[in-house]
Amino acid sequence: MRLLKTNNNDGCALCNATWGEYYREIDNEKMLFCCNICADIFENMVNEVKKRTGWEKIDYIELHGNYSSGRNCTAFSNGKRFSYYFRTYSDGKIMEFKNID
Amino acid sequence: MECPVCIETFKHGDFNEISEHFTLMSNDNDSEHISWLNNNISKTKLEKNELSKLFKRFYSCNDIKLWIINKFIEQFRGERPHPFILMMQDYNPRILKGYSFEHYFFLKQWVRSCSSIIASTDIDEIQNYEIENILSEYYGHDNIKPHIELLLEMAESYDIKREDIYNSRPLPKTEMAIKRWQVMSKAKTAVEMMAAMHSLELIANNDLRSYGAKYDYFNLKMLESSDVPDAVKSFLMEGYKADSHHSIDALDIINKYNSDIEGIQDSYLESAFVFSKYLEARIERGEIIEDKQQ
Repeated sequence: MRLLKTNNNDGCALCNATWGEYYREIDNEKMLFCCNICADIFENMVNEVKKRTGWEKIDYIELHGNYSSGRNCTAFSNGKRFSYYFRTYSDGKIMEFKNID
Repeated sequence: MECPVCIETFKHGDFNEISEHFTLMSNDNDSEHISWLNNNISKTKLEKNELSKLFKRFYSCNDIKLWIINKFIEQFRGERPHPFILMMQDYNPRILKGYSFEHYFFLKQWVRSCSSIIASTDIDEIQNYEIENILSEYYGHDNIKPHIELLLEMAESYDIKREDIYNSRPLPKTEMAIKRWQVMSKAKTAVEMMAAMHSLELIANNDLRSYGAKYDYFNLKMLESSDVPDAVKSFLMEGYKADSHHSIDALDIINKYNSDIEGIQDSYLESAFVFSKYLEARIERGEIIEDKQQ
């Protein structure tokens, strides 16, 4: 079974903060987040990537950015890659999501 | 001392208590407290003593005017600006339409807050300052239209009827911020309330770069662009001019009459916390308007 990982190894899978300890199962992986909002954002993002790519599973997501600038990301699945940019409101709602060529 | 997120109160200057509070809230995975810690103190979990030292550093202040300016820049116009500021770096009618709706409700609360300051002080300088502020925001003076009229004219330039704004409701984030300012109006001293409200006018201060701001309030090229309606230019320019002296004059008055720096810091932080949400509502409203038009 392939498990979803990100480049954030210190703490929260989305923002890498080490405060809080909130777990949610996403794509069969029990993932660590700092809070439910980061978990919501991550889960919505994963669902949007799957919708746009048609992938059933994601292996790895590289995330760079923050609340202010939004996040530039690349998702990997079975040797394929998909780059995108997204930004959210502070309550986790998606503000912007676009594919990057 | 108050928690800037939930307003729980602690002993004056007790950084251990506030550290303990944030630690407890983060252990409960409270998103608002964790987000505040990440943005203001540290993204790395710290032991209570270490956290207490960082809180002490955060509140350390020799000059309340500069302390507020620096905190404001960091949160709204610094290296990691508020998303609304980033979006204002391009001409974006969607954002300005959203701004028209939400700011109408903000201004209605604004004059209530200014009035509460007038009602709670005997100091002429403060009362006169607030009267002048209300005139320029709400009533107009010296043949200059009030800010609220310029706002409505901006909306009309995008074919939004005044009645549509009057008959709408503020979005939840704006409503939450307004409620917070209403509660503060009843609880704070005049000087504290001045810090809460007029510090927010730093958002449009055109001299903030000299204090270290990395972004202007909006892209100044908009004022020269033929794509931008004149009513939009008038609204942005008037705010840009008025808010510069409003914010700095108010900070000078706060400096002059401050008797409790911690109370002023608490008021500023509480207000900035909800102001950030309110700025998001301007973006969100623009998105709602655009979705309806599609």
